[in-house]
Amino acid sequence: MTWRRVLKGVLGPIISLVAVVAIWQAIVVWGHVAPYIAPRPLAAFRAITSNWSVLWPLTSWTIKETVYGFVAGVVLGVSFGVIMAKIPFLARTIYPVLIMSQAIPIVALALPLVLILGFSLMPKVVIVAWIVFFPVTVNVLDGLNNVDKDLLTLSRVLGASKFRTFVVIEIPGAITPLFSGLKIGATYAVTGAIIAELAASTGSSLALYQHTEAGQLNAAGVYGTTILMTAIGMSWFLLTLGAEYLCTPWRRRSVARRGWRGAKNSSAVTNKQGE
Amino acid sequence: MQGLYIGGVSNSELLRLDGVEKRFGETVALQESTISIDRGSFVSIVGPSGCGKSTLFNVVAGLLTPEKGDILLDGRSVRGKTGHVGYMLQKDLLVPWRTVLGNITLGARLTRRVTSDDRAQASAFASRYGLGEFLNHYPGSLSGGMRQRVALMRTLALNQPLLLLDEPFGALDAQTRFEMQQWLLQVWRDSERTVLFITHDVDEAVFLSDRVLVMSPRPGRVVDDLTIDLPRPRTLETLTSPEFTALKATILHQLHAERAQ
Repeated sequence: MTWRRVLKGVLGPIISLVAVVAIWQAIVVWGHVAPYIAPRPLAAFRAITSNWSVLWPLTSWTIKETVYGFVAGVVLGVSFGVIMAKIPFLARTIYPVLIMSQAIPIVALALPLVLILGFSLMPKVVIVAWIVFFPVTVNVLDGLNNVDKDLLTLSRVLGASKFRTFVVIEIPGAITPLFSGLKIGATYAVTGAIIAELAASTGSSLALYQHTEAGQLNAAGVYGTTILMTAIGMSWFLLTLGAEYLCTPWRRRSVARRGWRGAKNSSAVTNKQGE
Repeated sequence: MQGLYIGGVSNSELLRLDGVEKRFGETVALQESTISIDRGSFVSIVGPSGCGKSTLFNVVAGLLTPEKGDILLDGRSVRGKTGHVGYMLQKDLLVPWRTVLGNITLGARLTRRVTSDDRAQASAFASRYGLGEFLNHYPGSLSGGMRQRVALMRTLALNQPLLLLDEPFGALDAQTRFEMQQWLLQVWRDSERTVLFITHDVDEAVFLSDRVLVMSPRPGRVVDDLTIDLPRPRTLETLTSPEFTALKATILHQLHAERAQ
């Protein structure tokens, strides 16, 4: 990868980020917005850095909830997707329940979960997983159901077992839709974690910290916390994007990076070619 | 079984359909047929849609089990069994996440472990047929003709004696198609395989084959069996020779006579 390409890739996001901050600054300054309603961007950033020793443990806690919940949601989502694709009867049975699960407002889900699981890490992880698994299931299911039927026939004619066909043809074929599900899940994961913190925290969490700042009319602290939450969400999305980039080389390259380099023993060939 | 054919490789029977009949409910897709295919021969099947060509293929490939009769490959019954033929369709069915090499060795990957001999053989195929430079390319970067070549190499790579090709060049433009036909004949000559070839194109059938089976629908059956004794190697001149035209006319008449009924 050349520097020119890196620059091209990074330039767009940087420009839009700068633009957002500039618009924010412009509105606050030219609109004479009171500092207790909206701080200037720099003040919000300072609210993060000056309180970093307090914020970092809370942030790392939120990251933990997000990551654990995301992983659990993905495992659950992929399992549901595979089971539903392979057993159509179960798909018809489970699908309505899955849709119902997503119709429950998350806030209304949080309190029962606190009753069941207490104020530990668990209810947050469960809520994040609850949100993440659904888009993963739907996409994996669609991906597995849309594998070319002729390809499956070919695999059968060549004498492959169902398991081999699944591993060699169906799983790789569902990777692109899987990542669509993961990207949707990644954007929602942090939202889930914060909602869970609001409903199911006793003392220390990023969501409650923001509440406290708001109570003290510290707009810089409120906005700073929002920026921090957004940053967690974006980082997680970018990591998912990076994983997708690494897992699907055929979508961006024409030649495999680590291809085959040649035979050590080609005796079989001369026999079969038999010239 | 192999011992039976010593000394008679080109004239012995490789495939035999013995009174095979396949129905779908009330419909007779393939009426009781007995067909014998010689080892090393190139046999085309032509006929309108619904004449049972694909049913015949799927019965031989083991995808469908016939109600009557038996299918013998090298004297062994393969009725309702898969894993004994090479198989190729109009769609190349290359998997985008595997390289050319990975696609050629897909059959091995699907049935056992891919050995270095498999890779060496795939590499030899590719370089012999002009794709040596593209071994590590993903199919997304190949042209339609190149993709069909890779698909055919995949079909060859399992070293099955019988290849079933179902309109493999149907989606290619005329120019590429003619190149592919000549190339297929070269591959067939080199590899000493037996080819069963489905096509809609009478020119293609006559140009490629030793024998053309004409099929007719309702019920699906073989209505004519022509020997194509045009000299090989076949070239552009073959296509314009009077013998070629005569054979083509015979088949076309046959097809239209059937259709008129």
